[in-house]
Amino acid sequence: MFVLALRSVRRRPGRFLATLLSAFLGAAIVMTFQSLHDTAGRPGVDTVSSETLRMSAGVVGGYGTLLVFFAVASTLTVNVRQRSAELELLRCSGATPAQLRWMVVGEAVVVSLAGAALAVPAAGAGGRLLLEVFRDSGQVARSVDHAFGVVGLLSGFGVTLAASAGAAFLAVRRVTRGRRRHGGARSFLAWAALVCGAVSVCSTFALSGTDEMLMAPAAYGAILLSVGLAARAPRLLKGVLDGPVPGGASGWLAVRNLRQRAGDLAGILMSLILFTAVSTATLTMQAVESDAVAASGLVKSVDAKNLETLNFTVVGIIVVFVCVMLVNALYAATTYRVREFGQQRLAGATPGQVLRVVGTEALVLTVVGVLFGTLAALAGIVPFAVVRGDEVLPGQVFGVWAAVASTGAAVTLGTSLATARRVLRVPAVRAVAPAA
Amino acid sequence: MVRTGTRRDHDPGPAPEALRLVKVTKSYGTADSSVTALDGVTLGLERGTFTAVMGPSGSGKSTLLQCAAGLDRPDSGIVRVDGTELTGGSETELTKFRRGRIGFVFQQYNLLETLTVAQNTVLPLRLAGRRVDRKRVREILTAVGLGDRLGHRPDQLSGGQRQRVAIARALVTEPRVIFADEPTGALDTRSAREVLTLLQQAVRVHGRTVVMVTHDPVAASWADSVLFLADGRLAGRLDAPTADAVAERLAHLGDIVTAGV
Repeated sequence: MFVLALRSVRRRPGRFLATLLSAFLGAAIVMTFQSLHDTAGRPGVDTVSSETLRMSAGVVGGYGTLLVFFAVASTLTVNVRQRSAELELLRCSGATPAQLRWMVVGEAVVVSLAGAALAVPAAGAGGRLLLEVFRDSGQVARSVDHAFGVVGLLSGFGVTLAASAGAAFLAVRRVTRGRRRHGGARSFLAWAALVCGAVSVCSTFALSGTDEMLMAPAAYGAILLSVGLAARAPRLLKGVLDGPVPGGASGWLAVRNLRQRAGDLAGILMSLILFTAVSTATLTMQAVESDAVAASGLVKSVDAKNLETLNFTVVGIIVVFVCVMLVNALYAATTYRVREFGQQRLAGATPGQVLRVVGTEALVLTVVGVLFGTLAALAGIVPFAVVRGDEVLPGQVFGVWAAVASTGAAVTLGTSLATARRVLRVPAVRAVAPAA
Repeated sequence: MVRTGTRRDHDPGPAPEALRLVKVTKSYGTADSSVTALDGVTLGLERGTFTAVMGPSGSGKSTLLQCAAGLDRPDSGIVRVDGTELTGGSETELTKFRRGRIGFVFQQYNLLETLTVAQNTVLPLRLAGRRVDRKRVREILTAVGLGDRLGHRPDQLSGGQRQRVAIARALVTEPRVIFADEPTGALDTRSAREVLTLLQQAVRVHGRTVVMVTHDPVAASWADSVLFLADGRLAGRLDAPTADAVAERLAHLGDIVTAGV
């Protein structure tokens, strides 16, 4: 089966591009930050420098691992779903479920190995650049030199491989076993995340305005709340669709499609909610914090600077990953609908009307995702701003929010419409023909 | 596209000739590996007729239907539907023309899975921005025997029921011509008979023109006349067909073409 996996990767490299990209990005980020452990471990590094380096490596390393897992899992799930016909054919030709599982896991491992190998030079350069930033800001002593060693290399390959294999295993299991209801566990986790998030956000009020830790409970609370909302995404979408609907045949069709496909769209909505909440909350709080420090005329401590660097890095990583996931999921979801678009056109829809249906759907998704993401972000921002600067809604939130929302909208609408345009080039009669 | 300049607003009424093809040619593939699907087909069908187009696999019957219905563009020749020439024009223009005058029934039904039976039926009206008369939709669906299934989704219906929804959808816009591509190809004999009865009624009762591509002599025997197609050319015509006569003619289609008749 492994030979088959190798051959399938070699014959159709294009299909694995999204997985390769996620593995590459993930490995690059993990290696970049884990190589800070190597740097900190060099002889003659003072304790302050080494602590800064190890803390950054620890925090971002953890985030990175999770993100690699989610990104690879989302791209692989899409990949496996698109190939359900091929997998079915193999099953009919006598492949056991275990063999299929090993084939898909094998492919994922091959692709992620390639991704990790490509990431090594990128991570070397990235690590050097990161150290430069730390040295320039005075967080790390000038004398410290960059090292790229065993820890960076091993953790990079290890995390990427483990995440890919695990994600592939789950993806193929989900497809071969068919859809199962796991509503109970999911809704329990959603409520747990919402309750923990609310508690975390409220605990901000127990801290004083100058507390070093002030940002932590608010930020984590906002993230937890967004995770909780993201897990309820299909329910939220259905709730919104019960409200007033946009007019015209395209709007009518879009709303009906969204209502039926709410479950499938959960992944896209989840990415959007997380993206909006995490980036809005983190960037706004950081801006409020920086302005408050500047206003008080104090010089930032090394810890405060570390936190700032970390905040920006984490947001950067999340933005990149969520964009990859969003683009991949939307592209796949739209390509998958070639038959449906053909049917709409045969029923009398002009290409423009089909594009309007897709555009309306993307718009509704964007609005719902950004709306609930913003709610979660505000839940974290407001307590933080009240305690830190005695204001309810800091002015910084508007600029940040506008940037975040327009990025989310541009990615969602852009990918959906560009893909739909491409799909519409297939003549309608051929689009509905059963796959030859 | 619409060279005669007719619009639905001042539609002069149905033309006496529902469909006219003049020397229509269509080939697929690139120059060195080109396959001629239609080779100079000329035919005319009068309003209110039920015509079956028959021929072996690869004879070009599906291509004929797609070119006649404006779903595909012929390489050369003229296609006239309800008196209006279809040559040229963007896909948007062609779509707007199609949804006013043409109805489709396909082998694979092509109903939208996300819509209910009633919603699927009114979809062409909604897309055309026309008023949806709920009473009339119920009437049409009752006429095809699905009056009690308005809220069902396609995946809750049998193949025969789905095809009847497709026929209701094709009838709802009151088109001049209905094109059916192997409408009974995926159905059992009883469902097939129901579907053919409905198509026949559309002609006899409502005065529509039906063009049906099929490879089943029994289905073809429901039509008023059968056109035979072989290697992209017309190879004869049979009026008031019986299944046996059609099968007989079909079996010897190769001989006729090689004999050059």
